[in-house]
Amino acid sequence: MFNKVLIANRGEIAVRILRACRELGIQTVAVYSEADRQAMHVRYATEAYLLGPAPSKESYLKGEKIIEIALKSGAGAIHPGYGFLAERADFAQAVEDAGLEFIGPKPFAISSMGDKAIARETMMKAGVPVVPGTKGTDKLNDEKLLELSADIGFPLLIKATAGGGGKGMREVKNIEEMPTLIQSARREAKAAFGDDNVYLEKLILGARHIEIQVLADKFGNVIHLNERGCSLQRRHQKLLEEAPSAFVDDNLRQRMGDVAVKAAEAVDYESAGTIECLVDADKNFYFLEMNTRLQVEHPVTELVMGVDIVKEQIRIARGRKLSFAQEDIKINGAAIECRINAEDPHNNFMPSTGLISHAVLPTGPGIRVDTGVYTGSEITPYYDSMISKLIVWGETRAQAILRMRRALEEYKVVGVRTNIPFHQAMMDSHPFMGGQFHTRFVEEEFSMEHIAEGKETFPEVAAIIATLVQHEQTERAAHVVRRNVRDTSNWKWLSRWERLSK
Amino acid sequence: MKYITTIDEKEFFIEIIDDRHVSIDGKIVEVDFESVRSQPVFSLIVDGKSYEAYVYDGEEDLEVLVKGRLYHSKVEDERERRLRAASGGDVVDTGIFHLKAPMPGLVVSISVEEGQEVKKGEVLLILESMKMQNELRSPRDGVIGRIQVADGDSVEQRQKMLSVE
Repeated sequence: MFNKVLIANRGEIAVRILRACRELGIQTVAVYSEADRQAMHVRYATEAYLLGPAPSKESYLKGEKIIEIALKSGAGAIHPGYGFLAERADFAQAVEDAGLEFIGPKPFAISSMGDKAIARETMMKAGVPVVPGTKGTDKLNDEKLLELSADIGFPLLIKATAGGGGKGMREVKNIEEMPTLIQSARREAKAAFGDDNVYLEKLILGARHIEIQVLADKFGNVIHLNERGCSLQRRHQKLLEEAPSAFVDDNLRQRMGDVAVKAAEAVDYESAGTIECLVDADKNFYFLEMNTRLQVEHPVTELVMGVDIVKEQIRIARGRKLSFAQEDIKINGAAIECRINAEDPHNNFMPSTGLISHAVLPTGPGIRVDTGVYTGSEITPYYDSMISKLIVWGETRAQAILRMRRALEEYKVVGVRTNIPFHQAMMDSHPFMGGQFHTRFVEEEFSMEHIAEGKETFPEVAAIIATLVQHEQTERAAHVVRRNVRDTSNWKWLSRWERLSK
Repeated sequence: MKYITTIDEKEFFIEIIDDRHVSIDGKIVEVDFESVRSQPVFSLIVDGKSYEAYVYDGEEDLEVLVKGRLYHSKVEDERERRLRAASGGDVVDTGIFHLKAPMPGLVVSISVEEGQEVKKGEVLLILESMKMQNELRSPRDGVIGRIQVADGDSVEQRQKMLSVE
């Protein structure tokens, strides 16, 4: 059994895992890129080793080097977090081959879920409903895709078989768009995953994105921790998640939970994983994919279920049985997570880089902030734009929304633009409050300006502040000029003159 | 000092009377204005009501964030205004627009060629940063001038990439 864990990640998730290890009394090993020398995860860990230059390819994706560091430092296990190497079966295999424990599922489970086409086949065989689309696991060329697209019908989605996070994904409205969009999907997939293979899936309109968290130990015990609602997305990137989902009733919850357990069992799953589903307006659900790792949004489940998922992962990897049986799992209250990204919601969510010169985190009852940034840290273009996760708990969903509003107002980040104003607008939006939104809500129906309409505005206050700021700047500039003139004092002139005349 | 301050296209006439008083459109209000040390954070108390604001330097204006809403503001003193009026007013829609990189990144592809006519909203260039591909669009109709970058180039923040004339 291991007593030291290497965390092969950075940012908030590395810090999250470090915290779990600390609470369990486990030693930690951090790895970092040159850009992250000052990062929190480096400072919090018991040991820290440099991987290489800032780009992920030369640092956090260097599996061999990470395993080497684990062996050298005497770590018995590697936690991959999410992203980077988390869903790379070859890495999990290499970790195992080196005699180390991979904190996650077995390589077989990762690879059978990692290729989306294979995953669909596996799930269909296990009796899990999947979104209608291309069948089989053969690589499909452009002509074949064009031919099959007519059978599936439009609108549809082109998706990368190696995909995730919306990369290599394109929505197609009609057959004329197919050729160009196949090319751009392939190009993006190639760049992101090194594999340009794609498949097709029918686009389910008005669908909600609901996912079920599962936990499985090495003894074949599998439980689910109910659902999370993740329908608020932009360009297939989740922005806000909640547990439980306002759309799911007890009957649907039970049906989805049962299927999720079945899906996990079909690949002899171990550790924490998530079954992502689309649910249509009639509450029919379809398997979308399984994420064979810890997820960004795991804290909302932790808050309402009272389960520390990361600690469970570590226990499972240490060969312990699950601490919970299915009947122990009860929903308590509601939780919401807002992903705070360095993006400007007033400027089409353009990423924003720079130095965080100041940050004030919200605190007080029912609030959790998972973050890896701090005052003085720099947001670089090398990694993704998420800087923290703000999670709140409330007795009811309505209480959680009110608390989130309060927390967002307290949260100040200076130096980079963040999407906090977007979340604030969302908390005020009626469809969100009523739970009436689907995965296209942000792109198709939501607008910051629209929410702002009808709300009290403060143009006079803004005018006074702008004027006073400008006025002060002008005054200061004038002041500096005057002082410079005075600085060359008469005494200096005198001494210079004296020296000159000697 | 007298200023004309434009907030999202609405003009306010503001006079700074002394440290504690300003007049806005002829109405005198009592203000207590503090800036938080070494931060772009300002606290304003007007007639007992407290407002916290963040003020950033925008491209051509000051951006003021009050209660979750962003206001674009332009502050001119009287003299500037008279000068501008004398020189024939705004020159917003003429001249050259330089497309600058809004953040450091990698040029994925350039969608236009030199001399090509473009419409407002047309994609000029795709820039990858923070693992996302961002489409940069033309702010107005025009003709593409010089293109100063190529596919695969790394660019620094605010680097000029191309121009629309």
